[in-house]
Amino acid sequence: MIDCDVHNTWRSADVLLRYLPPAFREYLERGELPGGRGSFPHAHRPWLHPEDFFRVDATPPSGAPAGSDHAFMAAQLLDRYAIDVAILTGEEAIEVSTLANPHYAQALARAYNDWLVDEWLPRDSRLRGSLVVAPQDPHGAAEEIRRHGGHPGVVQVLVSTGAQRPYGDPFYDPIWDACVEVGLPLAAHLGGQGGVNANPTGCGPPTFFWETHALLCETGMGHVASTIAQGVFERWPAARFVLIECGIAWLPAILWRLDEDYRALRKETPWLTRLPSEYARDHIRLTTQPIERPRNPQALWMALDDIGAREMLMFASDYPHWDFDEPRIVRPPAEWREAVMDGNARTLYRLGAREEMTARAG
Amino acid sequence: MPAERRHVACAIREVPPGERRIVEIEGRSIGVFNVDGRFYALHNGCPHKGGPLCEGRVGGTTLTTRDRAFPYGREGQVVRCAWHGWEFDITTGRALADSAVRARTYPVAVEDGQIVLLL
Repeated sequence: MIDCDVHNTWRSADVLLRYLPPAFREYLERGELPGGRGSFPHAHRPWLHPEDFFRVDATPPSGAPAGSDHAFMAAQLLDRYAIDVAILTGEEAIEVSTLANPHYAQALARAYNDWLVDEWLPRDSRLRGSLVVAPQDPHGAAEEIRRHGGHPGVVQVLVSTGAQRPYGDPFYDPIWDACVEVGLPLAAHLGGQGGVNANPTGCGPPTFFWETHALLCETGMGHVASTIAQGVFERWPAARFVLIECGIAWLPAILWRLDEDYRALRKETPWLTRLPSEYARDHIRLTTQPIERPRNPQALWMALDDIGAREMLMFASDYPHWDFDEPRIVRPPAEWREAVMDGNARTLYRLGAREEMTARAG
Repeated sequence: MPAERRHVACAIREVPPGERRIVEIEGRSIGVFNVDGRFYALHNGCPHKGGPLCEGRVGGTTLTTRDRAFPYGREGQVVRCAWHGWEFDITTGRALADSAVRARTYPVAVEDGQIVLLL
């Protein structure tokens, strides 16, 4: 089984100090920080979780932050559920997208990536990393992708779903160029819902945390529509886009709608040669968490089957967050199970077959 | 299958180049188009949602390109359904955005100044 969203973090963001260039080390050492000493510089979303953001039982015995203790994570998640590979997605690093200063944002992303490569990937052969970049600085992001993209433990480039503009926008061309050059998918994980980024909904800011969380599908839809309409997958046929923690039930609805509207107004985007749903099937992947739970469980899979989503879905737990999905609650049809829980992620991230991995580990 | 029957739709002079005329034959509404002197007939019911396909705008459209550009062409060969704007190639009946969707076409002949449809 592959878990496509596992959050690794630090005891203190001071671990980044030694990876920052002098100019920005000062910012982290002496500069203003939203949460005081040891906190990570970012603009927090204005919807605060009223019960904290983590599973209560995910705090290690030492009292360190959930997700900061590899041994505890291994026991509570990897060993317990027999997870072959966990894709690490960091904790606050993607929030660099909320900062107004793109130079500082990129420096922080680079520092996180160095720390990830030094401190996490060597600890456990089951871990793979996501290279975080600051998308508001596409050229700097591209440089970072080329710098670290060849690391064997790095399997994707990661940004937040919260953004100043959707990811198909030509503004991001340098990022797509670099991703394709180094052969990595671009992934967007729920987050970045503050600072310089647009609100997560088009009608103005929601009020409550749960209200906002339930709308996580909306930015996902925006990025799906944008990457397809702007022709990202025509321009870069090898490009792959992953949406992490946006749910999945909305996917059929938006693809039905995109196909319908494209057929009426094809003339606006003459660079497309196929229906939007066809691009989605070949180029877009969604992680399952937080999975929707209709009264009739079959209702979810019937709709996904209608648009051919079998190869598009990849299991994720979101450990150690409050909206964690245990593997057993994700119940695709029997003939989809292997693909959704394991095979689709192995193919996308080139993880090799399970037997090969066992042989390598031995 | 019953043999196709010949029906006079209208006189040639009633459909000058670039124009179209809607005719009624055996209860069916059919659009007769003149594209650069050649005649074509399409069923006036859109395969999308049944709208009056042949009563929509006739013109050109953007051509497929690999660039972020908007080359324009096929002037006079494209009809857009009057309701939802789906584009169809008048000469083949195919929807431009989805070749799996086709408007019904009818064979056309020209005899003694008359446009004759086979249906």
